Amino acid sequence: MMLKLGVFELTDCGGCALNILFLYEKLFDLLEFYEIKEFHMASSLKEHDSFDVAIVTGTVSTQRDLNLLHYARNHSRYLIALGTCATHGDVQASVEGKIREKLEKVYGTKANPMKALDSTPIVQHVAVDYALPGCPYDKDEIYQVLMSLAKGVEPPTKDYPVCVECKLNEYECVLVKRGIPCLGPITLGGCNAVCIKSQLGCIGCRGPLPKEANPASEFEILKELGYDEEYIRRKFKTFARGELRW
Amino acid sequence: MSIEIEAFTRVEGNGGAEIIIENGEVKDVKVKIFEGPRFFELLTLGRHYWDVPDLEARICAICYLSHSVASVLAIERAFGVEVPEEIMLLRELGLLGEVLESHALHLYLLVAPDLFGYADAIRMAGKHGEIVKEGLTIKAFGNYLREVIGGREIHGINVKPGGFGRYPTVEELERMERQSEALLKLARRAVGIFSGQEYLGAKAEHYVTVNGYLYGDKLIADDGEHFDYFQHIEEKTLPYSFAKQSRYKGEVFMVGALSRLMLKYEMLTPMAKHLYEEYKEKFAQGYVSLNNLAQAIELVYALERTGEIARTLLDKGFEGENVPIEPKEGEGIGYVEAPRGVLVHHYKIDEKGNIAYSNIITPTAFNHAIMELSLYEEAKKRYGSSDEMTFLQKMEETVRAFDPCISCSVHVVRL
Ligand code: SF4
Ligand code: SF4
Repeated sequence: MMLKLGVFELTDCGGCALNILFLYEKLFDLLEFYEIKEFHMASSLKEHDSFDVAIVTGTVSTQRDLNLLHYARNHSRYLIALGTCATHGDVQASVEGKIREKLEKVYGTKANPMKALDSTPIVQHVAVDYALPGCPYDKDEIYQVLMSLAKGVEPPTKDYPVCVECKLNEYECVLVKRGIPCLGPITLGGCNAVCIKSQLGCIGCRGPLPKEANPASEFEILKELGYDEEYIRRKFKTFARGELRW
Repeated sequence: MSIEIEAFTRVEGNGGAEIIIENGEVKDVKVKIFEGPRFFELLTLGRHYWDVPDLEARICAICYLSHSVASVLAIERAFGVEVPEEIMLLRELGLLGEVLESHALHLYLLVAPDLFGYADAIRMAGKHGEIVKEGLTIKAFGNYLREVIGGREIHGINVKPGGFGRYPTVEELERMERQSEALLKLARRAVGIFSGQEYLGAKAEHYVTVNGYLYGDKLIADDGEHFDYFQHIEEKTLPYSFAKQSRYKGEVFMVGALSRLMLKYEMLTPMAKHLYEEYKEKFAQGYVSLNNLAQAIELVYALERTGEIARTLLDKGFEGENVPIEPKEGEGIGYVEAPRGVLVHHYKIDEKGNIAYSNIITPTAFNHAIMELSLYEEAKKRYGSSDEMTFLQKMEETVRAFDPCISCSVHVVRL
């Protein structure tokens, strides 16, 4: 039996939906188990009855997004929140101010005919079965989750910081050795420390490490390196709004 | 009465259209961009310049590197920083990768199903697997360039003011040279496939591009004028769309691959130029759907140019050293040709290096007006004479020809 898959894109950069297409031949492996019933970036086909798996990317930034999200939730067995927009709100959720003020600054009017909302992650609105952060997420993770679901086994989860992947790759620590602000110690790993490969600091795009993270000590380290509090505060909240407390 | 296209498919982002019919005639068309606003200009306000290109990259995944490069160019201009030629050539390699990745995605996965009569490329792959595979191969090579130059396939942070986090290795450049050469024949075949597409939409009468092929310091238009965007381009907001519309000296214009070929064919590489000349008369027709053929020719251009640059850098060698930057108060504009056309990043920066003003205009916003006009023309031509299915299908194809990237169009602001 083929499983029915729907990909729903709320407000975002398109990257998380696009990344599915970047699976290349692995996508064709998945298609042995899944039939795509909705994926508007890739297909004109729409067959909306119910889905075994709904993938939702992006933030809730309009009333339309919210309706679509509820639709996906109510019509699917498993719902996967895919990407940091969906799991933590990403960059658009970190823009400060109320929606009407923001609209006024951009469009010169407080009127809101298209029902824009302050951007929020989808996990705030509905229960999700799996949440895979990353801006964008690591392709292998979604592959693993979809394959596991198809085979009826529990997908693997990750729970270590980016630093672990730096060590495995034997990258020199940019924070300690070069004083570059790096959020690796408090960010969920799984990207293979790709930004540190570029000898740049992690900007936290996979969202905060759940549980053990110690943002307070990261905050102190950055302060000692000479970065001002406002700078650090902004850096911490870029991908995950106010979730990193210190 | 009106006909509603609820959501365009096989385009990036969320948008639709309303076709208004009065007394049995098409009266008006509204292209509704209902993807939520993401307020990127507000996001960057007060942020330190060093972090800004990484944030701006998130405007759009399909062309993240165009955004980082435009952002970096604006920042460097604001500080009066000049980088050596090798750094510009490396940035160009990234942009070429983006052209390859984006055009291949659009042509093979989004447009080709129309030509062959399928709902999507996955279903098309059963019978035309070869073509889909060729497209994916070109796309994967484009992504390889983005990964090496940009740091990863999507939203890499390697492109920085003054240079790069990491410079490519000799082996990587050699691979670029080799593969670009090998893929050329696939790209030539693409030109054949997409030259058969029918004419759709309006005829573009005005074109706007950046003065260099993929980046530059001014805009140019078909009247020959060199200008800055704020001199001749006016934007207006619409009640039914989160994207604004713009006019060049009051006229509707087009940006993108077709505009680049029309205004800058002299800069093309040999094989691409030859192909342009072969189809010159076709292009002179100006139909906006010719954008797709133009994109296919640009696949050839991007591969030839990638080979050229890789060779130059391998022969000449390069330092791999960043230009140091001293923040100071300043203002700068970065002009880049994203795959879909002109992209503008404009910042004012304060003496501490924080962004004090930011304005971004994306290609889909520039094209919004001509997109609407094209749907209007196409609807007028077809309403009443084709059945509803074909009518709606042709409307979608018309929009798709622009390769609209809706996510990126919705945060145009002037503070
Ligand atoms: S999480 Fe990042 S890559 Fe994914 S849609 Fe959001 S901005 Fe784009
Ligand atoms: S290193 Fe950090 S910023 Fe870079 S991809 Fe990994 S989590 Fe994201």
